[in-house]
Amino acid sequence: MRRALKIYRLLVVQNLKRLMEYRADFLTGAVSFLIDQAVGIGFIFIIFSQIPQLAGFTFPQILFIYGLSQIPKGLDHLLTDNLWCIGYFIVRKGDFDKYLIRPINPLFHVIAENFQVDAIGELVVGIGLLVYAAPNADLHITVWTVLLSLIAIPFATLIYTSLKIMTSALAFWMKSSGFIIQMVYGMNEFAKYPTTIYSFPVRIFVTYIIPFAFTGYYLSLYILTGTDPLLSIGGVILISSVLFVISILIWNKGISAYESAGA
Amino acid sequence: MIYAEHLRKEFKKVVKEPGLKGSFKALFKPKKEIVVAAEDISFHVPKGEILGFIGPNGAGKSTVIKMLTGILTPTSGECRINGKIPQNDRKNYVKEIGAVFGQRTQLWWDLPLQETYLVLKEIYEVDDASFKKRMDFLNEILELEKFIKSPVRTLSLGQRMRADIAASMLHSPKVLFLDEPTIGLDVVVKDNIRQAIMRINKEEKTTVILTTHDISDIELLCDRIVMIDKGKNVYDGSLHELRENYGQTRELVFETDKSSKLTKEQFRKGLNPNENDLVIENEKNNFKVRFNSNKIPVAEMLSYALSVTKVKDISVKDADIEEIIRNLYRQGEALNE
Repeated sequence: MRRALKIYRLLVVQNLKRLMEYRADFLTGAVSFLIDQAVGIGFIFIIFSQIPQLAGFTFPQILFIYGLSQIPKGLDHLLTDNLWCIGYFIVRKGDFDKYLIRPINPLFHVIAENFQVDAIGELVVGIGLLVYAAPNADLHITVWTVLLSLIAIPFATLIYTSLKIMTSALAFWMKSSGFIIQMVYGMNEFAKYPTTIYSFPVRIFVTYIIPFAFTGYYLSLYILTGTDPLLSIGGVILISSVLFVISILIWNKGISAYESAGA
Repeated sequence: MIYAEHLRKEFKKVVKEPGLKGSFKALFKPKKEIVVAAEDISFHVPKGEILGFIGPNGAGKSTVIKMLTGILTPTSGECRINGKIPQNDRKNYVKEIGAVFGQRTQLWWDLPLQETYLVLKEIYEVDDASFKKRMDFLNEILELEKFIKSPVRTLSLGQRMRADIAASMLHSPKVLFLDEPTIGLDVVVKDNIRQAIMRINKEEKTTVILTTHDISDIELLCDRIVMIDKGKNVYDGSLHELRENYGQTRELVFETDKSSKLTKEQFRKGLNPNENDLVIENEKNNFKVRFNSNKIPVAEMLSYALSVTKVKDISVKDADIEEIIRNLYRQGEALNE
């Protein structure tokens, strides 16, 4: 474990050095993410200028859900962005070879190789919204709600990561799975709002099939209502753990199907 | 040390008709075809040997190397290196091997070269003292000093290849896989790399498997060669034996008078050779005659040629290994047809 941390640190530092080499590219990335966020928040303001409540939640509460949903998203984005490259080109071009001839776990190696600083945008916006919305959101703040919600955040992050591992691993069979990652990842838009605003099939879909509902709505539910921690926090932990195990199985199966590319 | 037993690797390929329409059709009704990249490959390499693993393009060399390094999982058959099956115990296995794929690099593209070595040092758990000793040794044989501070993307191909070989040697592996390590390099760099491989093999008893298209690599480095073609073993033995058994080809070059010619037709009348035993190529008035000296003795060929045409000059070439290998490839093809 200590060795893993040491290697992780080293790889991240290498990546930061690389970023410094291409400053313009890095700044453009950060700016485009801020614009993306501004559009999302502006949208909520527009909705609430027309209606006072949404599915029983007030404007500050909706902002709180939105803000909290950005944190697991941002953490995953910060840490595991390289999985996109697996789906788009690393496997297709045969560059996955190098991960297989090094004595560390290939998945860990892939993930450690990139540290996506752009994600700071999501984290800043997420934390900013939480701070802004919390005083007026009628939160049930106790030691338990705060502690359990904090514990659930890494698990919610794991939902993002697991979905990315699964979909990127499809590239081992399909050669390129970038668009599938994109499609599945794009569903995270549903995480920003209470699932109760969606029609029944959509609700089922984002709760049980591509369970992004657990990375925003269910994650916020306990601290918002103070009841049912088993459903919200328990749900996040259970769903993320199951998803992670499945994703690792798919990933490992994928590695043995890996075909490399002609020299 | 290295055992490969009946290795076979199949790839599934979706067959597409040409054009966009064909691509669409393949999307909905994929027609799958199995491509056999390696059909049945077996060989054994004892410790400390340098094995030349050769074959024409598409013979399956890289596929076999990738199975041996654990990158690909064989469809059937087994390989065992140092008692380990690469696919079963990858993490421990790869600590004992180094691999260079000439067409790819494992260096960190955007960073100064020495950063790569520092990362690899941690990945392979090399302690500080051994790392320093190792870098000194690699510096000495591969002359990395001049460019170790430059970003990898700015290195020339020759520098990059040396840097890649050093990267694969950092953890003192017992087995080194070199897939076309001299591809695209000039004579001086090739020589430098060959010297380095030789020293590593001598001083550390590293077992080396080398694939190459450069015959000099084989002549200078390899104790033994294994030749494969179309996914099957074609030859396994020493270079010396190969020369003895297959080296009957001789080449005579006749420079003739402007008005004279040498054609197969002429030889057919007098010597009546088999189709494969005689090849004539010409460039203006230089006629290159390659023939099987077991079937047509050199003296006979010479006197016959002199009798049918006006010759100004003659040169005789010994069978070089390149020619022998070309013959073997041709025989392989003939066998398959």
